[in-house]
Parts: sequence; structure tokens; C-alpha cells
Amino acid sequence: MERFPRDNAYNRREVLKGGALAGVGAAALSAGFAAEPLKSVRVGFVGTGGRGTELLRNLLRLEGVRIVALCDINEANLARAQDLVQKAGQPRPPGYSKSDTDWQRLCDRDDLDLVVNATPWQWHAPISVAAMKAGKHAATEVPAAQTVEQCWELVETSEKTGRHCALLENDCYYREVLMILNMLRDGLLGEPLYAEAGYMHDIRAVKFNTVPNGEPWRLEHAVSRNGNLYPTHPLGPLSWWFGINRGDSFSYLVSMSSKARSLQEFAAKTFGPEDRRSKTQYKLGDVNVTLIHTEQGRTVTLYHDTNTPRPKEHLVRIQGSKGVYNSMMERIFVDGRSSAASKLREGWRATHEWEDPAEYRKQYDHKLWREQEANARNAGHGGVDYLELYRLIKNLREGKPLDIDVYDAAAWSVIVPLTESSVAGRSKPVDIPDFTRGKWKTRAPIDPDAIG
Amino acid sequence: MANAAEGGPLRVGMVGVGERGSYHLDLLLGMDSVEIKALCDIDDGFLYRAKKWVQDTGKPAPALYSRSKTDYLRLCDRDDLDLVVTATPWQYHAPVCIAAMQAGKHAATEVPAALTVDECWELVETSEKTGKHCTMLEQANYSPDVMTVLNMSQQGIFGDLLHASGGYVHDLRLVKFDPEREPWRLQHSIDRNGNNYPTHPMGPIAWWLGINRGDQFEYLVSMSTKARCLNDYAAHFFGDRHPYASMRMACGDVNTTLLRTAGGRTVTLHHDTNTPHPQTAEMRLQGTRGLYAGNIRKLYLEGRSPTAHEWQPLAEYEKEYQHPLWKRFDEEKFRTSRGHGGGATTPLLWRRLLEALRAGRAPDQNVYDAVTWSVISPLTEKSVAAKSRPVDFPDFTRGKWKSTPPISFA
Repeated sequence: MERFPRDNAYNRREVLKGGALAGVGAAALSAGFAAEPLKSVRVGFVGTGGRGTELLRNLLRLEGVRIVALCDINEANLARAQDLVQKAGQPRPPGYSKSDTDWQRLCDRDDLDLVVNATPWQWHAPISVAAMKAGKHAATEVPAAQTVEQCWELVETSEKTGRHCALLENDCYYREVLMILNMLRDGLLGEPLYAEAGYMHDIRAVKFNTVPNGEPWRLEHAVSRNGNLYPTHPLGPLSWWFGINRGDSFSYLVSMSSKARSLQEFAAKTFGPEDRRSKTQYKLGDVNVTLIHTEQGRTVTLYHDTNTPRPKEHLVRIQGSKGVYNSMMERIFVDGRSSAASKLREGWRATHEWEDPAEYRKQYDHKLWREQEANARNAGHGGVDYLELYRLIKNLREGKPLDIDVYDAAAWSVIVPLTESSVAGRSKPVDIPDFTRGKWKTRAPIDPDAIG
Repeated sequence: MANAAEGGPLRVGMVGVGERGSYHLDLLLGMDSVEIKALCDIDDGFLYRAKKWVQDTGKPAPALYSRSKTDYLRLCDRDDLDLVVTATPWQYHAPVCIAAMQAGKHAATEVPAALTVDECWELVETSEKTGKHCTMLEQANYSPDVMTVLNMSQQGIFGDLLHASGGYVHDLRLVKFDPEREPWRLQHSIDRNGNNYPTHPMGPIAWWLGINRGDQFEYLVSMSTKARCLNDYAAHFFGDRHPYASMRMACGDVNTTLLRTAGGRTVTLHHDTNTPHPQTAEMRLQGTRGLYAGNIRKLYLEGRSPTAHEWQPLAEYEKEYQHPLWKRFDEEKFRTSRGHGGGATTPLLWRRLLEALRAGRAPDQNVYDAVTWSVISPLTEKSVAAKSRPVDFPDFTRGKWKSTPPISFA
């Protein structure tokens, strides 16, 4: 019996067949916004704490990047960053640290192309908007915004000023994520139908500031908010796989949280039962689960689980119409290939065997990793902290559309306030705004070969 | 002849002796003090095969019922039965159980026990009125890993429970299209969109979380993908022009449901029977002190696992926490004579059920469990049809869940 036929271009052909692009020829598919090419990228950097320093280190390794100004309210962090720039052979940049909003003066300089920000969450959108209004591109740590209004403001400011707002979502550049993107492009797994992923990471110690580089401001969010507060790490990869904003679009979601117990337990164990932190009523449910529906009829299960003791997981599985890749199990199954097609009709268990993905990894390894592995090797998070900045700077210098643009930044970040609405409304369905205003139907799918 | 409660043999009538029913028959024939008194099936091939199996064990030939699709009513009306076992297509489960209880027999049904909310209430009310048990034959609850984790959880190893997940992730494309298997399953995919088969993961999760025994489901939301895999399958094997290649299938290929309990716990439930996927135990149980992940058969316990934030094989805990039921269970004694597969979980289920009926005890899975696990199916259909809106969960125990103690196997 023959194999299941491979469909090498499910994206274009089937999306066209499915009606989303009815009447639109492949030639009419549009690329994203591109700005003028920059010979070198002059960077103003806001937020030079733990995360900012890691990003700064990687920026300093890239060709064509000059760090022109730095901003942080913590003067020790600022001085450390200035030293880093100087050690890399660049002039010691001026520091901005007068107030919480001194980034405004940094943005107003006339010698910057890009403002990068790695601040606490509430500053991400205001700094990005200020940068774009002052004529600079913006690149922000995740999430890009905290409210629906901020998401629209980012989109509208970017469109009006013709400046980029990039999201620094490093998870998109994991070797496995890009490999799966190759698999999907080649039709190995058929059409993607379902993905399960999450930010499942025990950061109690970070929240309670009992480790170096703690981020105690995160605890404030857990006190006052209930939902998925940190969705973009898992959403970035699966948005690329599904083609969100590029042939598909998030449609609506429902979200549910468990009770909140774990932070109190941790505080009682760490600080004693009488400590204020052990008696605080935390609002953030320990395990939040969100279901997202897309315009093309695909679904996502998204976890947010940062309070419980657990090993870190981020991707669970991507299920396609012709196969499945399970990251947590490190297994793959491809219909008609993992089990001989001739056996498909013989039994209901025997022919379904998981495969070790080692051979597939070789075949579908992404070129960005083949080409940049040596440079990425010592960078944070297994190399992706280098790759995300490498790609951003390369696209800016070549005047190309960004891998992760303002529509992605808005669509992935808006999940935060929308899950809060759903949880507060007893898991009621909440519509997800289409920040592309219909352009997702005609925007070209992401091309893995263009990521190099 | 004395009935089972008086120390006599347990007298059984069986309705449906096809694929699954013949397995139950095979198991019962190997058990002491069970008499198969009557058999019912509209398929004469299945019926006479079953009759022969009974006679092969040296027992008297059972009475046969095959006149019509409702001939089970005549079987239920016999006066020499203690228990009626149903392993029919889904739509007959509740009617057969209700007929059995109304005729004064206990009822044991394959999963799911019912397809509608009304049927669920009817099962509860009939059982309460007649004083007869209605138990579901959900074998997944007895799987060794599920029971080990239950044992650990009941000893507080995972701390205060927060979340559980599980799924019926089983590629049934072949079964749905094979006229010799269970072709009636295809009709449910054509007509119904939701979680059409929730009890395999729901049973274990309900025991873990103490549903109906200290906690209760409050509401659920459910979401389905589009449906395309059955069309793809039909086009591949039967050709593009076969009706099933383009027929509109209601049931989304992957359905996901979230449930919330009165105790503030949450559950993620998957139903995925159309996509290419090896059958995998997707079970997870998570508490304030650690979690178990069935897909990798590993767990993590804070302060106990040797390396912080690193998984540890469940096997390392099996010796200490193997469930007493499994410790006592002699698998060899419960082998079927005819080589049916299925492992030892269904034999263990039958042993527990027969012991309970003989001792006049409630079965491990009572009527409230049967309907709570089964009602997910119509409730998810309602939620999916209304863009995933929340749907309230009926409390079939009418508040008794608050005072019912945790499940115990002593």
C-alpha cells in the first residue's frame, strides 16, 4: 500500500482551498512592513539589570551595533553596563538615571536608531511608544504590553510613525522550534491542528527574591492579578507553526485558574508562618489553563504555572493531520512512515509506535543553527538570547521585515489581559482582537529559509 | 437457588457479546461462583459463539435473546438474575441499565453509562428508588500507575492537589471505518462535536481528586478544532469521490475541556480519536508539593526528588507505594482462557465488583460516579456549540459529596 501522500505546501494550497484567501493568488500575498536599511544600528538601552545585562552582552558581540546611551534607575547596574560597553571597545555611553521616566530623555536623543528595553513589565509599552514617537525603532522584552489599549497603541504608533516595534521572544529561535517549522513547511506533519505548551517554570524564589537576580516586582503581579501573566514564550513558537497573523489569526479564548496555595506555602516554609508574606492572599491561581481558538479552526492549550514545585517544561506537543511531535516525551509519530502503511488497517495498537526523533532532527535541522551555532553557544538560554538579537539587527541593517513584528507583539501579549477577563468571568469566552485588521488573510506565511 | 448475597453463585445476564462483551464473558467464565444464565445480542454470530464458550466450560447452555433490538427487556425480566452486564453500542447503555434495575437486578455497563443529562438523572433516580446498583466498568481506574499515584496522593505526597489532566488520545480512524469493528462509532463523529468518550481519563482523575467524595465539579468549558482527519483517511483508503471523503464531520479532531471543582482544582481533558497518534497515557496530577506526569512516567517531589527541578522515574517509588490491591492481586488466576488482551486491569475490576456484590457493599464505582464521568459528553457538546461558554455541572449527589469519605479499598 502506498504511503500517505505528502502535501508539501499545505499552507498556501490548503489555506487557499479553505477560503481564507479565496480569490487571492499566491503573488498577492504581502510581506510585512520593512524600514529603510541601516548601515549600523545605534542603540539606546533601557533596563540594565540581570536580563538587560545578558541582552547587552550579546548586542556587543554583533557587528554593526553601537551602544550609544544607557538607562537604569539603579546606578550600580548602570555603571556595570557602562563598563561592559567600554570593555567591548566602544566609548563609555552616557547614563540616564534621574527618575523612573528618564528613558523619555534617552528616547529624545537624535543619535539613536533603536531603543531596546528590558525593564519590569509595566514599562515595556510606554517605553516602546515613546521610542517610536521619537522616531526610533523599539525592541522590547516580553510581554510587550499589559492591557488591550496598550496593544492597540503599539500597533497604531508603529503604523503611524513607520517604526518597528519588535518583541524579543527568544523561544522562537530554539533549535527544536525551528526544526518543527521546517517539518511543517515540508508537510511532514500535515496541517497543524493543535498545540499544547506553556510557561511551566517554578519561579517562586525569583518572586520572593531569595536568589541572586531576583525579580521581586513579579510578586506584586501574583498578589493582584489572576490569569496567564506570561504567555509569549510558548505562544511565539506555536504562532510561527500555525502562521498566526500570516494566514491564521487568534479568534477567542477561555481561561481557568486553580486556587492559589503554593506561594503561601513557600513563604511559610521560607520566612515562617507569622511572616506577612505567609498570610498574604495571592490572587494568581497556581495553575492557569487557557484554550485558544483560531480563525482556521485550530486550537491551543496554554499553561501558566510559575508557583508550583516542578521541572521546567515549555512545549508539550504539536499535533498535525499527518503526524505529531511530542517535545516533552522527545518522540515523533508520522502517519504511514513511523508504522508501515501496509499495517495501518491491521490493528489498533500494534502499528502505532513512537519514533526517536534523532534521524528527523538531522534531516530537518534549521540552517540558522547550522550556521550560527558556534556564535550562539555561550549565550543565555542555550544560545537563543544571541540568535534573537542577531536576527533583529540583521533585519534592521538589511531593511527587511522583522521575524517578530508589532502585530505579533500585540497578538501574543494581549493574551495576558484577556485571560484575566475570562478568569474573572468564570471562564467566559473572550474575543481576541485582530490587530492586523484583516491583513492576516493576505500576509505571507513565515518562510523558514528566510531566517538565516 | 440462593442468590449471590445469600452465598450462592452470582447469576449474570449479558447484553452485547461482540468485541468488548465477549472479553467480559471470557473473564467471567474464568471466575468462581459465576453463572452465565442468559445472553442477548442481535448478531447471531456473536450470540452462538458466546453460547458455545459457556458450554465449553462445562456449564449449562444459557438462554438466548436476539429477537429484536429491545430483546434485552425480556432478558431483564427473568427471575433468576442478580446482575445484567451491558457491552452494547453507547446508545443502549442507559436503557439496558434502567430496565435491569427496574426489574430488580444490579446493572453493570460499559462506558459511557449515558449520553444525555436526562439519562444520567434517570440512572441515579432509578438506582435510588430500586436500591439496585448501577456500576460502570471503567477499567482505567485500576491501572497500576493510576493506583500507585492514588495511593501516594491519599498519603499527601503531592500536597494539596491543584490540577489534573488526562485524555483519550487514541487513533480510532481504523475502528470507525471498519464494519467488522465498531462502525457505529463513526456516526457519533458525524453527528456530535465535543468529548464523546470522557470516562477513561475522567475515572482516574475523579478518584485522584475525590470527586463525589469531598469535592465536586462546578462547571466546564470545551473547545474543538476543525474536523478533517476522517475525511483525509477516507480519501486515502476509499478514494476522493467516496462520500466519507467530503462528508461534513461534526466532531472536531482534537477536543479540549477545562473543568473546575468546588475545591478550586482544575482539570484538562483531551479527546482525540481522529489524528495519527500512538496511544499515550496523558495523565498528570499536580499538587503544592510535586507532580506526576504519565506521558513520561515520571514525577517530581520537592524536597524528596534527589535533584531540584528534575524529573524522577515513577518506578523508583513503585515498591514503596504500589497499591495494596495490586500487591494482593494474583494476575495468573485471572487470565482469560481465549487469549483476549487487555492486561490485568479489567480482571481486577471484576474481582472488586464481584466481591462487593457478594458482600452487599456498594461497588467502587457507584451510580454517582458513572453519571458524573459520563455527563461530560453532553455538557461539552453544549459548550462547544456555544463558542466554549461555561456550562454548569449537575450535582448528582445532591450535596452528599460534601460528607462522603474518600474512596477506600479496605
